[in-house]
Amino acid sequence: MVAERLAEIVGESHVLSRQSELLVYNSDGLPGYRRQPRLAVFPGNRDEAIAVVRFLAEENLSFVPRGAGTGLSGGALADDIIVVGLHRLKQIISLDVENRRATVEPGVVNLRLNRHVAPHGLLYAPDPSSEAACTIGGNVAENAGGPHCLKYGVTLNHVLALTVVLPSGEVVELGSKIGERDGYDLRGAFIGSEGCFGLALDITVKLTPKPQSVRTLLADFTSVDQAAHVTSAIVASGIVPAALEFMDGPTIRVVEDSIYAAGYPRDAEAILLIELDGLEAGVVADVEVVRQICLDGGARQVRIARNDAERMKLWQGRKKAFGAMGRLAPHLIVQDAVIPRTRLPEILATIRAISEKYRVVVCNVFHAGDGNLHPNIAYSADDPAESERVHKAMREIMQACIDAGGSITGEHGVGLDKMGYMESIFSETSLNAMCELRGVFDPQHRSNPGKVVPVHSCKEWHGTPASRRPVREHEASPLEAEPSHPVAR
Amino acid sequence: MSTERVAATVRESAANGASLRIAGCGTWLDAGRPVSAARTLSLADDRGVVSYVPGDLTLTVRAGTPLSEIGGITGEHSQWLPLDPHGTNDGTIGATLATASAGPLASGFGPPRDLLLGVEFVNGRGEVIRAGGRVVKNVAGFDLSRLVTGSWGTLGVITEVTVRLYAMPQADRTFAIALGGTEREVGTVVRGIITSPLSPFAFQLISRSMARALGLGDDPIALLRFGGSNAVVDAQVSGLTQLATPREVDNNVWISLRALDGDAHTAVRVSSLPQRFAAASARILGDDVPGIYTCIDPRRGVMRILVGSAASGDGGTDTTLAPEFAANGGSSAVVFEKLPADLWASVSPSVVADPLSQGIRKAFDPHNVLNPGILGS
Repeated sequence: MVAERLAEIVGESHVLSRQSELLVYNSDGLPGYRRQPRLAVFPGNRDEAIAVVRFLAEENLSFVPRGAGTGLSGGALADDIIVVGLHRLKQIISLDVENRRATVEPGVVNLRLNRHVAPHGLLYAPDPSSEAACTIGGNVAENAGGPHCLKYGVTLNHVLALTVVLPSGEVVELGSKIGERDGYDLRGAFIGSEGCFGLALDITVKLTPKPQSVRTLLADFTSVDQAAHVTSAIVASGIVPAALEFMDGPTIRVVEDSIYAAGYPRDAEAILLIELDGLEAGVVADVEVVRQICLDGGARQVRIARNDAERMKLWQGRKKAFGAMGRLAPHLIVQDAVIPRTRLPEILATIRAISEKYRVVVCNVFHAGDGNLHPNIAYSADDPAESERVHKAMREIMQACIDAGGSITGEHGVGLDKMGYMESIFSETSLNAMCELRGVFDPQHRSNPGKVVPVHSCKEWHGTPASRRPVREHEASPLEAEPSHPVAR
Repeated sequence: MSTERVAATVRESAANGASLRIAGCGTWLDAGRPVSAARTLSLADDRGVVSYVPGDLTLTVRAGTPLSEIGGITGEHSQWLPLDPHGTNDGTIGATLATASAGPLASGFGPPRDLLLGVEFVNGRGEVIRAGGRVVKNVAGFDLSRLVTGSWGTLGVITEVTVRLYAMPQADRTFAIALGGTEREVGTVVRGIITSPLSPFAFQLISRSMARALGLGDDPIALLRFGGSNAVVDAQVSGLTQLATPREVDNNVWISLRALDGDAHTAVRVSSLPQRFAAASARILGDDVPGIYTCIDPRRGVMRILVGSAASGDGGTDTTLAPEFAANGGSSAVVFEKLPADLWASVSPSVVADPLSQGIRKAFDPHNVLNPGILGS
């Protein structure tokens, strides 16, 4: 019945209701979580998207907006409710070269926007590692980052305005396409709301002029500690690199064994990938300063990419590192904690100790300049004993980051994966305030229910909408990641 | 005034229905729509550093800390907070963020919200809420810190903030370019700079009257501030020299520029597309009414107009707003920061009248006790 009504809006071929077809949508970029949607619907244009949301509102049905499904927090999973996939809304609506802005539909792939604006000497700065697949709509939902956010800022800093369809079906404009406005920053509130405040129909982004000159350096170290200290020294020098990325020994070797081999020194215990950009003369001088800081800090060698092809190769290894870890084991658990930069050497040592304690291999590949860690553990979820050790290790690592004054997520979002940690970093009243904000955008909590803020933290709202009642018991899959409850409250 | 005392005061006010005027040092209480409040809640005595680890380039301070004090503390470690709202550095960090007051440095470092990492505030029920954190990148939970920035105290009383700092640049230099030519020449220079790969810390186009008030001569001026290593700044300056004939001026000109606010009874901000300002800059900047000062940040697409008490006549704002920007709803946005009390009635009654804003206001200040009316009724 629901499927038929939705098919009337979007056409039969754009509604999936068979369980076998829906399997594709039962996970995102974190394969440890599985949730089977009841239905999936794929509107083909803005009007269809609005009509779908209005129909769901009339029927009081819950839904989960989904882009390319590359998220790393379980945020796009629909537990027996409806997936609203937006990848067919992929028009670049307008490009204003002179004023450096573009308006795009949510399903536009990040890299496609970049290719579209590149001939005009422009780029869209946020560059998540999944840029070849992820959508701008998904980037907005997660407030996505990426290596170059160190200098250029995250998605929030590059979105001027949005047209949003609220879960009620009402269409609103947030922010301003033409400039700055007063009143509450609703645009800022929507960005990073993880699909809980409705879905974006179009997004107006700021474009950045391509730097005149770019240099990429690869510094390699025989100790993780040295690389961590050099990171701090570079930041303290006042030079703001476009990117400052860290990969440890296990990561280097996994990448070098894979088809993404970038020519990293296999015997290094850590490498830093540093990019500097700006006017040619300034970049040349800064490269020399950074090179010297690396050498003074114990780097064995500092290699500077000689051309674009070499640069791309160095970056390819970094950006595909998560994928390369698929060589180690079928499943991967990824963390996204942020710590104060000065605690980096200490936390990396703690992570090493935890990995030894639980006999797991942690691969560290992360945005060092921001202190945004990505400790990853490849494992087999089919081995219950190994799974248990991996999840215990990850919880201890997260707790160490929280204890160091850090955050549980820098760019991947809370989703399902980190919801269990929300109470260890926010008080009850703070979580309730977040629920209240959500309630303004979505009074019935029908858009991406059960994510970000634990339901029991919402004073005014404890209900389960009728539409969320499971029609059948969801059997715990052997792949299911354990909910990541904090070690201590 | 601790957080707990602020919370107790708000709770008491909520219980009695007695509204509060939220104030920092009180340097800018004449801004915003008139507030009728039973009493003033001042955070001026709640100042000082909560946590500062220079290596992290983050600083946590109490909201009543003046910007000048922050400058002193961070300066000792060769760091700075690139936040320079119009006016002086006597104002508090809490008030600056609450009003989202930006100055020339917003061109290079973004608006105040981009410098804010975390916040503690007391909502209108007297509950203490923390959002964001103390690290430079954070997407945990819904973004309440963005929401209170620029909310003018109406969603909560900011009690503590964590901000992102920058290392002080090796070189920090300012250059002026006289824009005395024809409309076409001025347009060419301005457009040339906007579309160049130069990345100034600040870039302001200054009207003739403002240039005169700043002692920069009798022509409209383009003022650019470059920072970074010596080599980077040299590269920027040589790039600029290819487009125009700059002369170096004292960095203190920025302090003088911001100080012109002190005398103004009217401050209006007009936003539009950068290229529209480039096209119209010659006409706008030619304005030469003493006491009426216009400056444009063409990269941000923001023009700011000040009317001081020295202005001839009783100068309403409409005399200075270039016609193509005034009342041109679709392509520009006007924000009134400061107006003589009797003029507020003639502008939009509220900037938070839409249902979402109303819902948020009701959720965060259900008893309407925090700065009622300052953003409109």
